[in-house]
Amino acid sequence: MKRRAALRILRAAVLLALTPGTALAHGAAPQKAFESIEIAASPERVWAIVGDFQDALWLPGVVEIKGGGGSKPDEAWRRLIFATGGAIDERLVQCDASEMSLRYMIEHGDFDILPVGNLSATLKVLPGPSGARVEWKARFYRAFPGGNPPERFTDEVAVDAVSAYFKAGLARLRARAEGP
Amino acid sequence: MKNWLLFIVLVCGAPALADEAFIPNQSSDDLSVIDLATMTERARITIGGKPAGVAVSRDGARVFVTSPEGPYVSVVDAGARKVLKRIPVAGGPLGVAAAPDGRRIYVAEAYGRDLLEIGLESGSTRRVEVGASPSGVVATPDGRYVLVTVRDEDRLAIVDAVSFTVAAQVKVGAHPFGMTFDAASGRAYAADVLSDDVSVVDVEARKLIGAAPVGKRPYGVALARGRAFAANQYAESVSVFDAQSLAPLSTIRAGEYPESLAASRDGAIIYLTNWFSNELWAINVEKLEIVGKTATGDGPRAFGDFVRATQ
Repeated sequence: MKRRAALRILRAAVLLALTPGTALAHGAAPQKAFESIEIAASPERVWAIVGDFQDALWLPGVVEIKGGGGSKPDEAWRRLIFATGGAIDERLVQCDASEMSLRYMIEHGDFDILPVGNLSATLKVLPGPSGARVEWKARFYRAFPGGNPPERFTDEVAVDAVSAYFKAGLARLRARAEGP
Repeated sequence: MKNWLLFIVLVCGAPALADEAFIPNQSSDDLSVIDLATMTERARITIGGKPAGVAVSRDGARVFVTSPEGPYVSVVDAGARKVLKRIPVAGGPLGVAAAPDGRRIYVAEAYGRDLLEIGLESGSTRRVEVGASPSGVVATPDGRYVLVTVRDEDRLAIVDAVSFTVAAQVKVGAHPFGMTFDAASGRAYAADVLSDDVSVVDVEARKLIGAAPVGKRPYGVALARGRAFAANQYAESVSVFDAQSLAPLSTIRAGEYPESLAASRDGAIIYLTNWFSNELWAINVEKLEIVGKTATGDGPRAFGDFVRATQ
């Protein structure tokens, strides 16, 4: 009985996640991810990549981007299409070129790529000892909205997935910024 | 409340009120006790179950902390810094409020649809269905109502505290979460996370009387000296507006993912938790400037009125 109720909640969560324009119900404990990297390039050079919301091919697994609104907060959006066939829709929330910092959020996610709900993240470029330092921080919930989540949708799974995604993304960003 | 404070000041001649903050740190599973006069942490109490919600009894002796993943509510002896007992609450306890008579608490079951009343001595419970994902809870000081933000249904539920039935459901903005009540005006202020405003409800009239636009993703709201403060998570700011006219007054830059607000008992200071950067900040209510900062545990949620008077 309990399992059936849990399955019903899970199905409702998945349906909600797949319904455009619906804010996803989420768990009660927001999670953090925080990754950073040192890059041997000027902060300006790194920001030229990071600060262009339509240029996201350095993100891990992304093979195609559709989008619009440039890098204008609220208007700028992008659909990241992944090698696996899934897609994530993101919107730019804030962008401050003078501080080399931006914030975006996932509007429509894909649990196979990132098993999270209500993710927002900041990307910030700072001066670093080898040139630039990039910090990537996120707040999000596990994909399962209720108590007692199934194993594939726990807090730990969500944190691990976002951390791995950020690490891989930052490594690709460094390779590109340090390249010719 | 004001009369009571006046009484204390007159009788005891207290030069200043010593307040403490009890901050549930959701990620580190504990409760920071912070002396607000010096902005220093005095104690750390293990709670568990991803603590989020907090309420203080009117006499300041007890602090109630919800653990949605526990799932339980901890009853804390505020002076002894000790957990006295854990009350199991099945449906993801989040918002909590203490009844003014000190004999019961009200708990929102965020994973469900109910508001729960728990008798502290008897352990007896009553429940009332208010709607999907009940979140913030406030008990009015006259003991007549319990107010609940019904997050996923965009409503404020007004529950009759005596009969424990829903007296009214008032439509507010999108995803109301944090909430506070002003006894003098009879108004409730609810932060609408997804519509970036604060809804203002006349509780007696059971009517929405206005909405003050604030910054992106407001979570918490608090009042002090006729001013309303909203913590905007995405904007990383605190919006300040006139509580009566709802006219904007100022925007103060906050830390990372500011979340909850509470006023000092004398109304001179508003305290703010920054959830990502693990800090408690003090804001001077008149000057609207940051006047103090201190570290907390990891992920300070402090969802509720987290300030306790110690004298």
